[in-house]
Amino acid sequence: MDRSQHHERTFARLMVGPAVALLFLMTIGPLLFSLVVSFTNLQFSTPQPMRWVGLDNYLTLLFNDSRFLTALGRTLGFVLAGVAVQTLFGYFIAWLLLHVNRFRAFVLGPILIPSVISSVVAGWQGRMIFNASYGPLNDVLAHVGVKGPAWLALPQTALLSVFITDTWQWTPFLALVILAALQSQPQELLEAARLDGAHGWSMFRRITLPLVLPVAGVGILLRGVDLFKTFDLVYILTQGGPGNSSETLTFLTYLQGFKFFNPSYASAMSFIQLLLVTIMAKSYLGLVNRRGAH
Amino acid sequence: MSKRSVIDLLKWLAIFAVLIVLLFPIFWIIASSLKARGEFFTRPPVWVPANPDWLNYPDSLRRGGMKGLIDSFTIAFFSMAISVVLGAPAAYAIARFQVGKKNLAFWILSIRMFPPIATILPLFVIFRFVGLVDSYAGLVLCYTVFNLPFAIWILKGFIEELPREIEEAAKVDGATRFQIFRNIALPLTAPGLVVVALFTFIFAWNDFAYAVIFSGSNVTPLPVVIAQFAGGHEILWGQISAIALIAILPALVLATFLQKYLTRGLTMGAVK
Repeated sequence: MDRSQHHERTFARLMVGPAVALLFLMTIGPLLFSLVVSFTNLQFSTPQPMRWVGLDNYLTLLFNDSRFLTALGRTLGFVLAGVAVQTLFGYFIAWLLLHVNRFRAFVLGPILIPSVISSVVAGWQGRMIFNASYGPLNDVLAHVGVKGPAWLALPQTALLSVFITDTWQWTPFLALVILAALQSQPQELLEAARLDGAHGWSMFRRITLPLVLPVAGVGILLRGVDLFKTFDLVYILTQGGPGNSSETLTFLTYLQGFKFFNPSYASAMSFIQLLLVTIMAKSYLGLVNRRGAH
Repeated sequence: MSKRSVIDLLKWLAIFAVLIVLLFPIFWIIASSLKARGEFFTRPPVWVPANPDWLNYPDSLRRGGMKGLIDSFTIAFFSMAISVVLGAPAAYAIARFQVGKKNLAFWILSIRMFPPIATILPLFVIFRFVGLVDSYAGLVLCYTVFNLPFAIWILKGFIEELPREIEEAAKVDGATRFQIFRNIALPLTAPGLVVVALFTFIFAWNDFAYAVIFSGSNVTPLPVVIAQFAGGHEILWGQISAIALIAILPALVLATFLQKYLTRGLTMGAVK
C-alpha cells in the first residue's frame, strides 16, 4: 500500500473516530450491561441477593406473564392497524395533493404541522378534545344525535383514543412521503402504460404500486417501528388504563423498570422488543426490495 | 360545469376537509390558551372565548414554564451543536472514503431504529452511578446519541451529491485533506448543515421519553413541565394550553420555512 492511501485511511478514521466512539459507548455498552442484567434476578423493591437465573426472566415472560403477552398482542395489533390506516389516509391525501399544482406548497406546510410538534402537546390536545363532558368532540357528536362515550375513561375506547391521536399526528408524514414517491414516477412510463391500455386498478397495481412502494416503503417502515415504540401518547392520555386496557409494550416495560423497580425483568422485556423490531425491519425491507425488483 | 372542473372542485373540498381535521386541535389549543377559568366547564363548550384572557401566558411561564423553556433550549442547543460538530467529519469520511464499508453505515442507521427503552434502562443505572441523572449533560448525551446517526445520514447524502472535481483540484494544488474538508466540502454542504441543525434541535426539543426519565428537580424540559401540569390534581387548562402553544412554535417555524427539506429530514434522507 502506498503512503498516500495509508494517509487517507488514517485521516478517515480520525474523522469518524469521535462519533463512533460516542455511539459505541452509549449504545453497545449499555446494551451489554442490560443483557447481563436480564439473566439475573436484580430488583430494587425487595432486598434479595443478586443471583444468576439464566433464561428464567425470558421463560416467565413468554409462558407465564399474561399481562406481557396481552400487551405484546395489543402492540402488534396497534402497529398493523396504524400502518394500514395511516398509509391509506396518507395515500388519499397525497393523491389529492398530486393534482393541485398551483397551491401545493401553500397547503403542504399547514398539513405537516401535526408531524413536527411534540407528542406531549398532541397528547394534551387529545386530553381536551376527548374530554367526555366539556370536550368539542362529544359536542359535535351531540349535534348529530350521537351520545359520545367517555373516550379516555372506558376500556373499550381508551386505546382507540390513543390510536386516533397517533393517526392525526403521523398521517401527514406518510402523505408527504407517498407524495414524494408519486412525484418520482417517470411520466414516460405512465404514458406508455396508458397507451397499452392500462388504467384504473390495473394501472395502480402493475405500475404505480411497484414504483411507489420502494420509495414510500422507507417511510412506512419508519412508521411501523415508531408505532411499536408508542409511549408518550399512552403516558399523557391514559397511563395505560383504565385497568391495563391501553398498555403498550414500551409503557409496560417502563412500569416494570421505573415503577415496579424490576430492572432485570424489564431488561428481558426490552430485549424481546429489540429482537422484534429487528425482525420487523428486516422482513419488511426484504419484502419491499423484492417488490421493487419486479 | 365540465366534468373535470367538478372533480377539481371536489378535490379542493376534500383538501379543505383534511385541513380542518388536521388543524382543528391546534385551533383548540389557541382558543383554550385564551379562555378564562370558568369557560372550561360549560356545556356546550366555549369554542371562541368571548374576552381573550392573555393572563394564561405569563401565569404559565411563572409556574415553571420559563424554566422549562430555558432548560429545553439549553439541552436542544448543545445536542444540536455536538451532533453537527461530530457528525459532519464522520459523514465526510463515510461518504468520501467509505470508511467501515456498508457495515458501519448500517450500524449507525440501526441505532436510530432502536426502541429507546432498551438503552434507557441501563443508561439510567449507569447515569445514577456517575451522577448524570437530573443533569443537563445527561440529557444532552442521550439526545446526541439519538441525533448523531441522523446527522451522519443526512450529511452523507448531501456530501455524496457534491461533485468530486473541486476537491480533486484542491488536492492537486497541495491542500491537505482536512483543509479540503473544512474549506471546500463543509461550505458546500451548508444547506445540509442547516437541515441537520434544525431537525436535531427539534428532535431534542420535542422528546418526552428520555426527558421524563432523566429529569428531576434540577432539570425540567418543557414536555416534562407540560406532562406534570397535565397530571396534577388541579388541572390548569388555560395555562397548560398557553405553554403547549409556546412549545410548538419552533416546530411551526420548521414546517413553514424548511418545507422543501421536510421529507428528507423525516425519512433520514431516504426520500429526497
